[in-house]
Amino acid sequence: MAQRTATIKTPFENALARRRQLRKLWLVFLLFPAIAILLTFVFLPMASAILYSVYEWDGLVRGEFIGLGNFQKVLLDPRNNQFLINAFFNNVKVFIALMLVQNGLALILALFLAREPKGYRFYQIAFFLPVILSTVIIGFQWKLFLNPIFGLVNTLLRSVGLGDWAMPWLGLPETALGAMILVNAWHWVGFPTLVFLAAIHRIPKDLIEAARLDGASEWMIARDIIWPLMAPAVTIIVVLTFIGSFNWFEIPYIMGGLEGSPAYSTDMLGLLFYRTAFGSVSAGNSDFGTGSALAVLIFIFIFTFSTIATRYLTSREVELS
Amino acid sequence: MATIELRDVTKDFGGVQVIHGANLSIEDNEFVVFVGPSGCGKSTLLRLLSGLEELSAGEIYIDGERIDHLPPARRGLAMVFQSYALYPHMTVYQNMSYALKVARKSKQEIEEKVRAAAEILQLTELLDRKPKALSGGQRQRVAIGRAIVRDPSVFLFDEPLSNLDAKLRVQMRIELTNLHKQLQSTMIYVTHDQVEAMTMADKIVVMRSGHIEQVGAPLDLFNKPVNKFVAGFIGSPAMNFFKGQIISADEGTYEAQLDNGTQFKFKAQAGRLTVQDSIDLGVRPEDLQPGNTGAGTLMGKATAVERLGAQTYAYLSSPINENMIIHYAGDLDIQSGEEIEVSFNLDSCHLFGPDEQRIEFEG
Amino acid sequence: MSTLNKKSGDLGTWLMHIFLGVNAVIMLYPIIMMALSSFKTNQEIFSSPFSLPKSFSFDNFAIIWSQTNVPRYFINSTIVTGLSVLVLLVVGTMAAYALSRYKFKGNIMISLFFLSGLMLPLRLAIIPLFIQLKALGLVDNLLGLICIYTAMSLPATVFIMTGFLRSLPSELEDSARMDGASEFRIMVEIMVPLITPAMVIAGIYNAVPIWNDFFFPLIFIQSPEWKTLAQGLTAFFGEYSINYGVLYAGLTLAALPIMLVFIVQSRRFIAGMTAGAIK
Repeated sequence: MAQRTATIKTPFENALARRRQLRKLWLVFLLFPAIAILLTFVFLPMASAILYSVYEWDGLVRGEFIGLGNFQKVLLDPRNNQFLINAFFNNVKVFIALMLVQNGLALILALFLAREPKGYRFYQIAFFLPVILSTVIIGFQWKLFLNPIFGLVNTLLRSVGLGDWAMPWLGLPETALGAMILVNAWHWVGFPTLVFLAAIHRIPKDLIEAARLDGASEWMIARDIIWPLMAPAVTIIVVLTFIGSFNWFEIPYIMGGLEGSPAYSTDMLGLLFYRTAFGSVSAGNSDFGTGSALAVLIFIFIFTFSTIATRYLTSREVELS
Repeated sequence: MATIELRDVTKDFGGVQVIHGANLSIEDNEFVVFVGPSGCGKSTLLRLLSGLEELSAGEIYIDGERIDHLPPARRGLAMVFQSYALYPHMTVYQNMSYALKVARKSKQEIEEKVRAAAEILQLTELLDRKPKALSGGQRQRVAIGRAIVRDPSVFLFDEPLSNLDAKLRVQMRIELTNLHKQLQSTMIYVTHDQVEAMTMADKIVVMRSGHIEQVGAPLDLFNKPVNKFVAGFIGSPAMNFFKGQIISADEGTYEAQLDNGTQFKFKAQAGRLTVQDSIDLGVRPEDLQPGNTGAGTLMGKATAVERLGAQTYAYLSSPINENMIIHYAGDLDIQSGEEIEVSFNLDSCHLFGPDEQRIEFEG
Repeated sequence: MSTLNKKSGDLGTWLMHIFLGVNAVIMLYPIIMMALSSFKTNQEIFSSPFSLPKSFSFDNFAIIWSQTNVPRYFINSTIVTGLSVLVLLVVGTMAAYALSRYKFKGNIMISLFFLSGLMLPLRLAIIPLFIQLKALGLVDNLLGLICIYTAMSLPATVFIMTGFLRSLPSELEDSARMDGASEFRIMVEIMVPLITPAMVIAGIYNAVPIWNDFFFPLIFIQSPEWKTLAQGLTAFFGEYSINYGVLYAGLTLAALPIMLVFIVQSRRFIAGMTAGAIK
């Protein structure tokens, strides 16, 4: 009897096994291309970057293993680290300024737009329009506008009698970084605005109406109800601004050039990395070793701080049930 | 047009067994309802039958042929889902014809079958609409129509009426019963609603936590529930239970005492019970009548009274059962808070032993 | 009390409208100026920078069309963006489909793999990437850019598509299985048509940054014939540095297509571009 059932069962189990096999193949077919592309063009280079940072390089040729030598060169060699420190603090300035100017403005705009005033759709489109444009366009456009002689900004200032204020904005170390930060804020402010707006729209209307019935003023509603409940959006924007600030490259490259002109006042970690890796007047020949070491350091810095920030900011989020 | 046989059907999900060796025979052209509380495994059993889930062990036969290794579409079954699962981007016609299209039937054959099914279900006018533009009842009919066009040997229904409002549900119940008569095919229907089970089924399968508790015709289940669970599950309002104990046992003549002191004698299989065995006496609400005319009497305080004119439901609280219900055919003038006496006759009662299994009265 | 409230509310409303209005002017005015200046001659730009152009002359655009590589850059950008987004949507949706619709061993592991890809800044791996692409003969080659953009944007695409695919009811899939459709057919005929709006969103989310990027072409493309629009503009600016009208026309031309699509499809654009930041 036991033998009989065993012999009967086999073909059925075969049929099932075949179906399971087919399903496995199907899953492999679905997943393989994505995994292969990601491994080849993201994970492999990322891992190689770490590996490269501990070798000496001569152009495209890998030389001797030198341990932390490249890191030493980046961090401790005074010829390099003065650039590193200068660039790093410029990035810090960018982050703080963008948080205040760009995201602060975005928050106010979002709070206003959340009340769905007349022209609500128009405002959304207007604020978001620059976001869709290439940084190259924005950078060159404002470079033209900020031209000391023919630029619209100075022409405008002169025409309203503020001629004394007209100055070579991008030519002075005191104003160049500020001007670039404002251009960046102009370019991107629509993004945090609409992310904040979406977050505010997610707050149930009843909650805000209940607060209004309790006699809360608009300001109190914004501070006590909306602000705490839009925390997840704030987390995301802070972290994205942080990553964006320390990866900042396009605007300073286009408006100030690879050397962070004038006088390295607009130098950034991204520019320094580019110069170190691919060579320039100030950094000398292309050096993949120190370049990789710098990249690894920047990555560790960004990764560590954005993780800590995410943890901290997430802990103050309230779950909307 | 098919018989179905389940043999020791078992299913576990990640080590947790949810169906424990189910055995069941379904006759040709039967309307079978799987009923039980949520989580009892009734839907899983249906999905095992359909092929959407694989068996962990056991065998399934349709018309004597083993089918549990076949993919769903090759089992000759059609299924109607709880949410109807109509393809939102296809018209009613496309929804109904999809299975035939997949099976590479000729255009003409598809057209004929869809038209015929639409005729039966009065969907002809709606064939060009998308599901979004249909009412709940119409969607339900499309879901059934989609099953009909495949001309299956067995129809499976997974709680198909639970998304409809009460009035439509009653109407669809009748329509489904008529459809069964018209189509002359085997139907298996899953529901948690015992009223649906009682009104539609030829045969009810009562399930609890992965076990089949009882299989039988609706009135058999109502009149002779095999255990306390089935007794409590079938019938609305639910049966009242009174706890008690056997106080004497002599050759098949027993004497029992309920917890409120009421004593009664009965005859049953000798040796089935012994002294001090705990028992449950089940009395349906309609078998509890006001007054003291019956064999056993109880006092209870009315906590709520629903007087509907033709019938009266009274909710009583007594020391032996805090939530007792009586159902009186006619108007009964009692007030909430009133203390009243109710009585029952032993021959309309159901007795369950310490193992909660039914004890048959003899003589 | 109520009148006071109303009054201050009115004042507040006024302030709000002024604030929003001024901001809208600040946002739009530079773009309008850019577009208007592209119709002006150099002289006009210097003498009357704020006025409307005397005549809408397309001379500047004609110079760009006939004397520069901008049309070529335009075609390159279209090819790169189009193919990258196409591959991304196909490959990304396939992976997301597997992760969202099937239970299998390793599902969580693979999901985490894609998720971790979200956090890797590929720019910092530019050196190994350069060596790797050089070895594959993909430097100075549009295909190289397509590979990079596809890989870089895959994690976010998988992430977004998984979210949308998860929201589809499993009964639809079961129903199609009962109807006899194969797994491939269920995906292509039943499930994917239901998430086309999501694919548009994911497509925009990826297309805009790819179209606008100039970092990767800066490093990987040298020949003028393979330059993309954003990158090509830098060369063009060097060449025409004193002819403002032509420069403005170049910027306008580069901005125009994406702006037109945005104005027509603003809702989808905004949903698409903020898709990664809104849960």
